[in-house]
Amino acid sequence: MSATPHAVVSGAIRLLRLELRRNPMLWMLPLIAALFWIVVYRRSMALAPSWSLRATTMQTGIVSVFVPTVAGAAAWMGSREGRHGLVDLLTCTAQPRWARQLAGWAATTGWAIAAYIVCVGVLYAATGRQATWGGPLWWPAAVGVASVPAFAALGYAAGALRPSRFTAPLVAMAAFFGLEISAQFIHGNDSYWQVSPLVAGPWNLGRSEDLATFYPYLPDLPRIQIIFLAGLTAALLGIMGVPAGSGGRWLRRFAVGITTIGLLSAGTATALAGTGRLDAHGMIAVPAVHDASDDLPATYTPVCGTAAIPICVHPAYAAYLPAITDALKPVLEQIAGLPGAPDRLSQAAAIYRQQSGNGIAVGRAGPAVTGTPPVFHLLLPIQFPGPALTATQLATALRTDTARAIVSAVISSDRALGPAQQAVADGILGLYAAEPDDPVGAAARRFAALTAEGRRTWLMENLAALRAGQVTLHQLP
Amino acid sequence: MNVEATDLTRRLGRTQAVAGVTIAIGDGVFGLLGPNGAGKTSLLRMMATVIPPTSGHLRLLGCDPSEYGQRRQIRCRLGYLPQNLGYYPRFTVVEFVEYFALLKEMPAARVHRAVAYAVERVGLGDKAKARLSTLSGGMLRRVGIAQAIVNDPQLLLLDEPTAGLDPEQRIAFRSLLRDLGQQATVIVSTHLVEDVGAACARVALMDRGKIVFSGTPDELTGRAVGTDAVGDAPLERGYSAVLAQARS
Repeated sequence: MSATPHAVVSGAIRLLRLELRRNPMLWMLPLIAALFWIVVYRRSMALAPSWSLRATTMQTGIVSVFVPTVAGAAAWMGSREGRHGLVDLLTCTAQPRWARQLAGWAATTGWAIAAYIVCVGVLYAATGRQATWGGPLWWPAAVGVASVPAFAALGYAAGALRPSRFTAPLVAMAAFFGLEISAQFIHGNDSYWQVSPLVAGPWNLGRSEDLATFYPYLPDLPRIQIIFLAGLTAALLGIMGVPAGSGGRWLRRFAVGITTIGLLSAGTATALAGTGRLDAHGMIAVPAVHDASDDLPATYTPVCGTAAIPICVHPAYAAYLPAITDALKPVLEQIAGLPGAPDRLSQAAAIYRQQSGNGIAVGRAGPAVTGTPPVFHLLLPIQFPGPALTATQLATALRTDTARAIVSAVISSDRALGPAQQAVADGILGLYAAEPDDPVGAAARRFAALTAEGRRTWLMENLAALRAGQVTLHQLP
Repeated sequence: MNVEATDLTRRLGRTQAVAGVTIAIGDGVFGLLGPNGAGKTSLLRMMATVIPPTSGHLRLLGCDPSEYGQRRQIRCRLGYLPQNLGYYPRFTVVEFVEYFALLKEMPAARVHRAVAYAVERVGLGDKAKARLSTLSGGMLRRVGIAQAIVNDPQLLLLDEPTAGLDPEQRIAFRSLLRDLGQQATVIVSTHLVEDVGAACARVALMDRGKIVFSGTPDELTGRAVGTDAVGDAPLERGYSAVLAQARS
């Protein structure tokens, strides 16, 4: 009576086709499309067209969209035998219950993965048209794809265990809140909760365009998350095959094996996620799976703009170059050619350091100016994590913070400016306090009142003394 | 014998649903009569391998259902219509019957034709593409019969199969039963004695978990002779007489 392998396979395919045709996940697709549009697509497209920024933002958002819907649909599917009173009729069929459940789970997962691929495809296609450098990041997409079968298995198992019409909405809500709340437990380095598929990088860093730009995307955490999700899937599917009545002795032993392997994988991945640390490039490095070749800088050809001092940026930031040039032009014209002034402004990678608690410090790796001829290592305001800047906000930040950093590097050899250096910097930038009794402000106003040629002439003659801190406020013109 | 039960019992909680049934059933249509709560459905569920007996021995189609491999063999050759038929409302008639054909591990190449034949046999050919949610109770019952017979079973267990069928459908169904009984063992659990009289070659009457009568319908009718048993038809009077005797 035993069927041939061919017959078993063709029977399984027919069963899967039937399950695909009548799967509740089909009814969830419009909802998924709407949620994807609102929660993921619009938010991602509002960000700069950086592959890393959009891919990591997408991972967090798309997991939030897919997890509750897939878990809910799978729970509805898993509970249907009990809800429709088909248990007796199905029990006396020859197919093991586990095989039947796997077919239902596979159909639900299949539709969800198809929808997921379409969603990622749409977002990546739009990003591909806008991005000036790089290519699609597949690891964040892979983590999302791996979370679909895992949460479908979770929903299906819950539905099969508690077949009720309330199971599906409860599972959907529990999956959503469970996932969202899990992220709240992440505190700095070494957090086991980093294994959550919502986490696409250092959780407390927020959005940053700088990640995976100067250095390759670090796949350590996604690898761990995928192992965890695959383990979770195996364990949950295996558990459904363990109870008596799920199948024969060998099938149930196989299910126990799958469950054990799944639990071990998920446990190992969670333990490894706990060893994940913020690396200098703003990503999570997990020593056990870390590949040293991922630490080598990415190769690229800078894009340069013409100003009194050439400004070169990473091609991923090429779209910002006109705005950067416009904002820095007045300052660069004043300092170009001064002794010690940079020959070129070259964008640098930011360096990330975990601080005590949840804080992350972002800054420059070394001195602002190095080399001969001197090169100023430029950190743009958009390289710092935080909310996306508007064009006006970016221009303001460039004219104040970035320009001040450039001027400071020219007029002072220390990080901290003396009063005269402060007044000169303020005068060059045109940013000084309005209070009449502020001596630094008064000196800055005097210096600013000079013509550009006058300021430049004075700087040519006195820059060495100013840099050495030998000029007082009264000595300023 | 396709069904051999010896001292079969089944306890459901504190209730002794089946209390020592010994019966042997061969090919043909066999009627299982009895009042509500007599244990007919529990006995049928054991024969359908849905629940195991609490004690006693059961052999179905020459196999031991307590052993997984043999139970699977039985299930491939079994058709079962439960008293309360559950169904997936969004499935069409054909899809529902096909679903069960596949779960009964019918060869995939045979499924399409077998499904069409089963649907035709229960008179639902014109409703083959209709969703189950759109069908009447009688039609759903016929869908249940179609799924039970789709694998051409050697043991067919029907629990209240004519419930919800109109008289015309019931007559057609009895004809189908007689037809099926020529190649298989068909056990029909019912409390409608006219169904038994019209279609069954042998009949057993259950009361309080026990078989209180086993024989032909004529023998059951004969039990009423000389008693004041009530009933509109001779078979009903025999039924009443046996029950009264068992309870006295």
